Amino acid sequence: MTETIEAAARRIAEAGPSPARPARDPVNRPAIRDWLAAIGDANPVYERDGVAPPAMAQVWTMRGLRPAHEDLDDPLRGMSAVLDEAGYTSVVATDCAQTYHRYLREGEILAVRGRLTGVAGPKRTALGEGWFVTTESVWEVAGEPVAEMRFRVLKYRPGASAPVRSEPIRPVAGPDSAFFWAGVEAGELRIQRCGECGALRHPPGPACPACGALKPEYVVAAGTGTVHSYVVHHHPSLPGRRSPVTVALVDLDEGVRMVGELRGVHPSIGARVQAGFADGLPVWGPTGVELPSWELAVTPTVIISSALATRDFQDVHHDRDAAVRRGSRDIFLNILTTTGLVQRYVTDWAGPEAVLRGIEIRLGAPCYAYDTLTFTGQARGDEVAVVGRTATGEHVSGIVRVAS
Amino acid sequence: MIARSAAIAGIGATEFSKDSGRSELRLAVEAVRAALDDAGLRPSDVDGLTTFSMDDNAEIAVAREIGAGELTFLSRIGYGGGAACAVVQQAVLAVTAGIAETVVCYRALNERSGRRFGQANTPPGLDASWHYPMGLATPAAQVAMAARRYLHDYGATTDDFGRVTVAARRHAATNPAAWFYGRPITLEDHRASRWIAEPLRLLDCCQESDGAVALVVTAAERARDLRRAPAVVCAAAQGSGPDQFVMTSYYRDEVAALPEMGVVARQLWGQSGLTPADVRAAVLYDHFTPYVLMQLEELGFCGRGEGRHVIAEERLPINPHGGQLGEAYIHGMNGIAEAVRQVRGTAVNQVPGDGPVLVTAGTGVPTSGLILSGA
Repeated sequence: MTETIEAAARRIAEAGPSPARPARDPVNRPAIRDWLAAIGDANPVYERDGVAPPAMAQVWTMRGLRPAHEDLDDPLRGMSAVLDEAGYTSVVATDCAQTYHRYLREGEILAVRGRLTGVAGPKRTALGEGWFVTTESVWEVAGEPVAEMRFRVLKYRPGASAPVRSEPIRPVAGPDSAFFWAGVEAGELRIQRCGECGALRHPPGPACPACGALKPEYVVAAGTGTVHSYVVHHHPSLPGRRSPVTVALVDLDEGVRMVGELRGVHPSIGARVQAGFADGLPVWGPTGVELPSWELAVTPTVIISSALATRDFQDVHHDRDAAVRRGSRDIFLNILTTTGLVQRYVTDWAGPEAVLRGIEIRLGAPCYAYDTLTFTGQARGDEVAVVGRTATGEHVSGIVRVAS
Repeated sequence: MIARSAAIAGIGATEFSKDSGRSELRLAVEAVRAALDDAGLRPSDVDGLTTFSMDDNAEIAVAREIGAGELTFLSRIGYGGGAACAVVQQAVLAVTAGIAETVVCYRALNERSGRRFGQANTPPGLDASWHYPMGLATPAAQVAMAARRYLHDYGATTDDFGRVTVAARRHAATNPAAWFYGRPITLEDHRASRWIAEPLRLLDCCQESDGAVALVVTAAERARDLRRAPAVVCAAAQGSGPDQFVMTSYYRDEVAALPEMGVVARQLWGQSGLTPADVRAAVLYDHFTPYVLMQLEELGFCGRGEGRHVIAEERLPINPHGGQLGEAYIHGMNGIAEAVRQVRGTAVNQVPGDGPVLVTAGTGVPTSGLILSGA
């Protein structure tokens, strides 16, 4: 079966970009209004200027509830059909990276071309065994590329194999390092400091290599530093984590180095970062302006109205019984809505005139009906790092690029 | 004194595979017996055994299985592949001190079919707690941190890493004992191979192997009377750098360097009176390509950041057997066996001349090195 899937993947990938498939309807105000209402976005510029919110790019070429014909030329549809056949019948989107060359104007008719760029599997995931399918799409208006997207979905076999839920690797604390991990719990980044000569040191130990004293104390770091080097880990998968994972070695301003996951920043040596904490570990994130947090009560109405306004008719976004049958706790937000909420969070903060160049997100824990979704963000230069969390964990993390 | 007092008198190995179908202990026994045969010695001659940590092939277990009698020297060196040349140094020290006469160094592992070192499933100890939970849980990821900094500091590219693996596979292609016998690759193949831990691709990482290698060490004087021409140990050194960690020495000034290999290099040249210019061929530990470049620099074959030119211009014959990238990953012991064959003049890809051959052990950890030459 793996060979059949891989052969199909090769065939579809080699076929290259699909022919341009036109949207059913032009960019239009009623659809924009429904979308803005469902997302709760009060930004007036769209109606004022007659343009569509950038995060709607994908909406215009969604197939709708009853597509006229099964479009197997589309690489994602074609690959999905192969995986459906093999029993991987359920789907969740996991990653979406959109680039906006310009905003779309009412009346324009989009067409989309897609190509398959990756099929990886079978993988054991929290949802069951499945395959990750990556596609790249380009939207055009009369041949002019207006937006692009890299999109990844997991096609999985619901409930077929109870996945072994592997736990992330946890640190081990000993008498010489317990202060550090207690600091992480307390939201402090602590550096060992010799009680005798004052030398700072990381990783810590019982004795001071500078003066020999056995009198370790600590100071609380400012938490700011510079990336000295970094790694993007892909294989093999880390227990309880989704690849890729970016890890940075950071020169703290106090003069010691420390390793931590890097989130919300494109990695580069020399980049300034700020320490934060997640899952009992220090993590590096962007330095910069903290956005006010935003809490959204995710009612069934939010989920269903936004699924329909994004023209996503997958049953898991409106039919609780179907969602439960597929192994979910309840209906959950679709990725187009999450993209829209991220857009709204950033433009609410940046102001109505802000122009977005791209939204790149990765989904983690599903956001179910009755969850509270809390967004936080940090702006640095023309990038805003956004994280949305529910009580169960991180639902979305991503980077929004704003035109400067 | 190490200098020329002891020699490697016999080498032995099993086949190199991905699934040996036998226990590590049995592999060890097969390799040890083969090495003793090669030297023209019997198991009853063995009075010393030395090996690595990270396995269950205790010296006494091997002694029982081969039917050795009393042992007067038993030792193990830690730090994974960093032990390769250090176990030979142990044997030389024992022989030179008169503690043992015939010491066998061995390494047997089912690293592919059994415990795979590249999987992220090792529970962290205290040191590893600063790295594993954050996502640096595999050797490749840990090396990638140094590799990224190396690219940054010296303006090298991932193609420079690729050329190391292309050369190794070219050599392996003509070595029937190599796993990748008959399967050379191009730089394009390297570029197309998937990311393991950026900036390392699959083809920057050595293979995983099942197999065993053993070496018989005895006094140089005695070795001359044995079956094979001896490979005399001109120098044998171990080394650890300041603020040394296992694969994660990130806290000293330079991350893109291997000062522990510098410690080894100074001793090798000092003990032997040789210089890099005297070396006929080098067998450099190649679990990950970037460390081959850094070793060339630490050993004094070129300046900092210039290792790539040594490779690109083929200035030095390196890993004529194909290395661990091409032949097999037996924690560097197969490299020592290759150095012995080069000294004997019996290697499949024989490097002409009679100059000394340099061998190194695993890098990123406390490491070791040897210089071997003819009698």
